[in-house]
Amino acid sequence: MADKLVPAESFPTLRETPEEIAYELRSHEGALWSGSRMLMGIWAFAFAALGFAYFYLRSANNADLWRPAHITAPSGVGAAVFAFSLASAFLATYGLWRFRSGSGLDWEVAGWTGVLCSLTAVSLQIWQLTDLPFFPGSSGYASCFVGWAGMNIVLLLCGAYWLETLLARHLRLRRAVVEDGGLARSTLPAVRLFRVNLEGCTYFWVFIAFVALFFWMLFYVV
Amino acid sequence: MATSTLDTDGPSYPGEVPESHGIIGARSDWLKPNLVWAVAGAVGGWFFGRYVGDLIAGNWTVSQDTTMNNVSVVFAMSFGVLGWIAGIGGLTYPFLKMLGREPAPVLPSRSWVRYFRMTEDHKVVGLQYLVGVLVFLFTGGLLAMAIRTELLSPTSHVFGPGTYIAIVSEHGTMMMMMASSAVVGPLGNWLVPLMIGSRRMAFPRIEAFSFWIFMAGYLVIMTALPLGGFPTGWTAYAPLQTQANPGMDAYLVGFAVIGIGMIAAGFNLAATIINYRAPRMTWSRVPIFVWSILATTALLVLATPTLVVAGYLGVLDRTVQTAFYVTEHGGSSFLWENLFWFFGHPEVYIMALPGFGIVMEMMPVFTRKPLFAYRVAAAGMIGVALLSFFVWQHHLFQSGINPDMRPLFMLTTELISIPTGFLFLVTLGTLWRAKIRFEVPMLFCLGMLFNFLIGGITGVFLSDVPVDVTVHGSFFVMAHFHYTIMGGLIFALFGGLYYWLPKMTGKVLNQRLAKIHFWTFFVFFNCTFFPLFLVGLLGMPRRVFEYAHNLQTLNDISSVSAFLLGASFLIFIFNFVWSVYIDPVKAPDNPWNSRGLEWQTASPVPWFNFERIPVVLTDPYRYSEPDAPPVADLGVASLVSVGAISYGEAVSPRDVESPLDQPGDLDPRPPIL
Repeated sequence: MADKLVPAESFPTLRETPEEIAYELRSHEGALWSGSRMLMGIWAFAFAALGFAYFYLRSANNADLWRPAHITAPSGVGAAVFAFSLASAFLATYGLWRFRSGSGLDWEVAGWTGVLCSLTAVSLQIWQLTDLPFFPGSSGYASCFVGWAGMNIVLLLCGAYWLETLLARHLRLRRAVVEDGGLARSTLPAVRLFRVNLEGCTYFWVFIAFVALFFWMLFYVV
Repeated sequence: MATSTLDTDGPSYPGEVPESHGIIGARSDWLKPNLVWAVAGAVGGWFFGRYVGDLIAGNWTVSQDTTMNNVSVVFAMSFGVLGWIAGIGGLTYPFLKMLGREPAPVLPSRSWVRYFRMTEDHKVVGLQYLVGVLVFLFTGGLLAMAIRTELLSPTSHVFGPGTYIAIVSEHGTMMMMMASSAVVGPLGNWLVPLMIGSRRMAFPRIEAFSFWIFMAGYLVIMTALPLGGFPTGWTAYAPLQTQANPGMDAYLVGFAVIGIGMIAAGFNLAATIINYRAPRMTWSRVPIFVWSILATTALLVLATPTLVVAGYLGVLDRTVQTAFYVTEHGGSSFLWENLFWFFGHPEVYIMALPGFGIVMEMMPVFTRKPLFAYRVAAAGMIGVALLSFFVWQHHLFQSGINPDMRPLFMLTTELISIPTGFLFLVTLGTLWRAKIRFEVPMLFCLGMLFNFLIGGITGVFLSDVPVDVTVHGSFFVMAHFHYTIMGGLIFALFGGLYYWLPKMTGKVLNQRLAKIHFWTFFVFFNCTFFPLFLVGLLGMPRRVFEYAHNLQTLNDISSVSAFLLGASFLIFIFNFVWSVYIDPVKAPDNPWNSRGLEWQTASPVPWFNFERIPVVLTDPYRYSEPDAPPVADLGVASLVSVGAISYGEAVSPRDVESPLDQPGDLDPRPPIL
């Protein structure tokens, strides 16, 4: 199977210097930082497209069917979805604060609770979609709501997935680095990257909270 | 601090890879995730998705000419894509992350099987992309031949009107999908780490994912044909979009899938360029090609989500019966136009900017002059990228815009010609009073400038409301964008391939065949598309298969030239196969005598690109200075001594020993997403 045309000398052993490892580590910390912010940018433009649709159809009010009789999606479930999303974001932020203070356990509890809250929000959002008081194509508002609900589910699942992967990683790392000052202070590469990742995830959850607030106001308040 | 070296633990690099064959328990390459499994996953996913779709909406109206309704079509495609990604191994890492594991790095392989798998080697991904892009290009090209065959006669037909519009739509969509990744995919992925002095991409798995989902998009869009095609052209305007048969679902899902790949590719490249530049590679020393890729990634990351959402809303309209694009139910067909073109116009620059980047990168090499006004070129690219978000409404001059808004968008569109003009002037300034070496890559550069001049100037005409309204929907517009995209991007791409293939393959392409390729390509390209400006001005609309008899001569010139243009591609393929496989001639390490960092490393390029992380000393364009220092120190300078890191930062061998006992954590390098 091996390709005999490729000379073995083209695959020499890499011998990295400690400085090079440190340089690459710093580069990857930067990449995680940039990546998490770019992820927010990607989602921001995606939701901006939906927001544009909302305002475009609202202002056009074609066939006088933007929002006949001011129908609204079930506001109780909507408020619950919003509250659980906010709770997840709050718990992620609180957890990071506690983590920085050196309490990994607090972060863990807050994190798992946050994952639970976000999954609850997703479940409620799905349940709400199955029991809407209007047909999806009955109006511009109805269409936008259905479109937003689908996107919101994906966004919340993204946030929950990210947080869960960090929590799982934390479970594996925490005992291993006890002697190195714990996860909050260890200088081991894996832990440094974990901290940057955690910070990015928390910022992402704050972003989710802002998105939830904005669209909750659009669909339930305004 | 002494630059002591540290051997990597375990078989992390190819020289240390033990032969696995014959070892009990070792899996054959064919049992690991690869293309075969991806195809199997896609087929299985298709049938599973269709089953689920029928389960959910089995009693829905079956679409015309098929046995499927839109729900089962969309589910079949979506699960097909998921199965494809699972089969290629794209879900393994996300799943392991959920378990808190960092999987072992994929060991670089010497086997050719690596080209059919997900890989963390950016050079393999670059070559995968190259083949993928050529598959798109030749598929779209064959469809173009079919179009031109039909248009040989004004009234005698090869195809029916429905088939003809399906072919036109498929061609346009295929080519646009291809062009969005034509340079960023193959050359961006292959070259960027080398040009910035990095050993790796920031997120190599995301990079590999971007390629494989790009190919999934190809398969999805190809399924449109057996599903009856779609009648909307590549722009998919509503309400026709909402009314069309299931081939339209393939367009919406396919474009969204490709869009996800574009976002992933841009995300990874941007993070790499921002963070993985070699020590002392300041922004003023970044190669201009890398600047062009960076500007493009900004568009990929920010504009493409709009396309994905627009497609998602279209799918909702066609499946769960929302009314986003249905005016009678409170939606608006113009909403699609706005969302589509908010992506669509930046898309034009996603295609154009890397082309300019290639040309500006190569010109100093073949003129032996510094790049003229480097900073203006970089600023021009940023300017184009920014302004491209503010011009989309010029595509709506004819419909869907408040007439009072037209002057504003006419102005913004004309404004964007200023930074674009910067780019053009930079190339002309570099050519000014130069002793030009007319090598094949340079010929393609000059061809690109000639073509883009025509395409660009006709673009300025089209930004003007009266002209745009007059020629809207005509062959004039079609000729304009073929001059900018094919005449600009594809010429630059081929120039770039002739320039960098010796580095990528280690072989020299036959120069005589390459020159024949250039001249046939250049002459027949212009003979194909220039007559179409005239045809358009004489009133021939796009996407219509019958036309006035007095336009036949011009159309026939175009058609015959198109066939010859298609044949010129075959010269490239023949040359490539001949020069790389049949009669290979080893390429010199630096055949063009370039100062670019990518040419300074070993040939063939080792898996980790550079033996030592290079320390950049100067910019790469000081061709007119015989005593200019080398562009980088490739082995002597210590990262500490140049201030890239501090003493305290250097990671000691103890630190890189993993705190965990998982295989993946034995890799001393930082884990990668």
